Amino acid sequence: MEENTFKELAKSSGRHDSSKSDSHEDIRNLWSMATLSQPKLNVQRSNVSEYSELDGSSLGSKTGEWYNQRAGYNSDGGWKEWDNREADVDLKPEEMDDDTLLELELHPIGSLESHLEEEEDDARTEIEISSSMPSLSVLKHIPHHRAYWVEQQNRLPLPLKELMENEALEILTKALKSYRSEIGRDHFLTKQLQRYIEGLKRRRNKRLHVSVY
Amino acid sequence: MKLKEGSFLWYLYLDKIYCLLSVRNVKALVEYFHLLDVHHNNTLNDVLFYHFLHHVTNLKRRQIMIVFNMLDWNAMGEIAFDQFYMLVCILLAQQNHLEEQFIFRHSRPVFELLDLDGEMKIGPENFHMYNFLFNIKKQELRELYSDFDITGDCRLNYKEFKLFTIFTMDKYQEMKKAQKEKEKEREDSA
Repeated sequence: MEENTFKELAKSSGRHDSSKSDSHEDIRNLWSMATLSQPKLNVQRSNVSEYSELDGSSLGSKTGEWYNQRAGYNSDGGWKEWDNREADVDLKPEEMDDDTLLELELHPIGSLESHLEEEEDDARTEIEISSSMPSLSVLKHIPHHRAYWVEQQNRLPLPLKELMENEALEILTKALKSYRSEIGRDHFLTKQLQRYIEGLKRRRNKRLHVSVY
Repeated sequence: MKLKEGSFLWYLYLDKIYCLLSVRNVKALVEYFHLLDVHHNNTLNDVLFYHFLHHVTNLKRRQIMIVFNMLDWNAMGEIAFDQFYMLVCILLAQQNHLEEQFIFRHSRPVFELLDLDGEMKIGPENFHMYNFLFNIKKQELRELYSDFDITGDCRLNYKEFKLFTIFTMDKYQEMKKAQKEKEKEREDSA
């Protein structure tokens, strides 16, 4: 299924590239500013659950299915089903009770946990390549709920992931200096930290290498 | 306190009403926390914590250690994700000038953090120690104790503290309302 994902990636590389270049303008564009306290949120709950489940339950296989489904909509020449769904949508947050809001917000947690547990480093590098793609391809078709649908994607946008790792590397490198001066170079904690930093650097280089090809 | 522009925390969005992060933001924060958790204990020790906070804020060493001691209330020498999340919300609240809102929304955890010795009462010295985090001015502090210390022991219990948060929240909302009205008047006159 992962192969399929990459095939789809290759097919839609043109669109992906253009989306990617947009995302580099400002990472914050990939994050949602629409939250439960803002009145713009008017998506029917059933729709939200359905799509967040499809997207989030497993990174490897479901992502491919999810994207293929999206691609299918596109090739069929429209988003009729989506449009019909959207016509039904009229549930504003002020009309929801607290429990509904909470449930809506907490829904992706299950998939989040499974996602965190099952990810391996190598697989992660490969999956991240496509991380910002489906969400951005969806955006074009959902003008009214753009921010909300970005929020529903369960994976981190790639630039944010890179930023996070680079920042962690900087922090840990400074910490390593403190470890060396405070507890010595041969202490097992210092060695553990050093190995960890090297691992992070390797992972980063690997990803850079993959993204070049 | 200022967050370093372009740092990871700078990209997180704190809900202005609930003063919480969305699940997606929390998920990102979990990943960030795990990246920093080099010893795989699901915690950050004081050295890692210091370098993290020193990197993402302009807090001084003394302030960072005060924050660490506040969060590490059971003196484990480590900070778990729960405390880390709380800290990030406090930092974002301050960055977005939402301190009053934050204290109001999360009065119980804030009270417990300020209650260093676990006596369920907080004295003015505790507020003073953490005013760089919650931005409580000296004048406000004086008013706080003269108006809300109903039991008269110069310390606030939770109910008194809660009253204070409601009062400050009202004041904050009135101020916002006045600001909006002024802006509207300006627009109308222009």
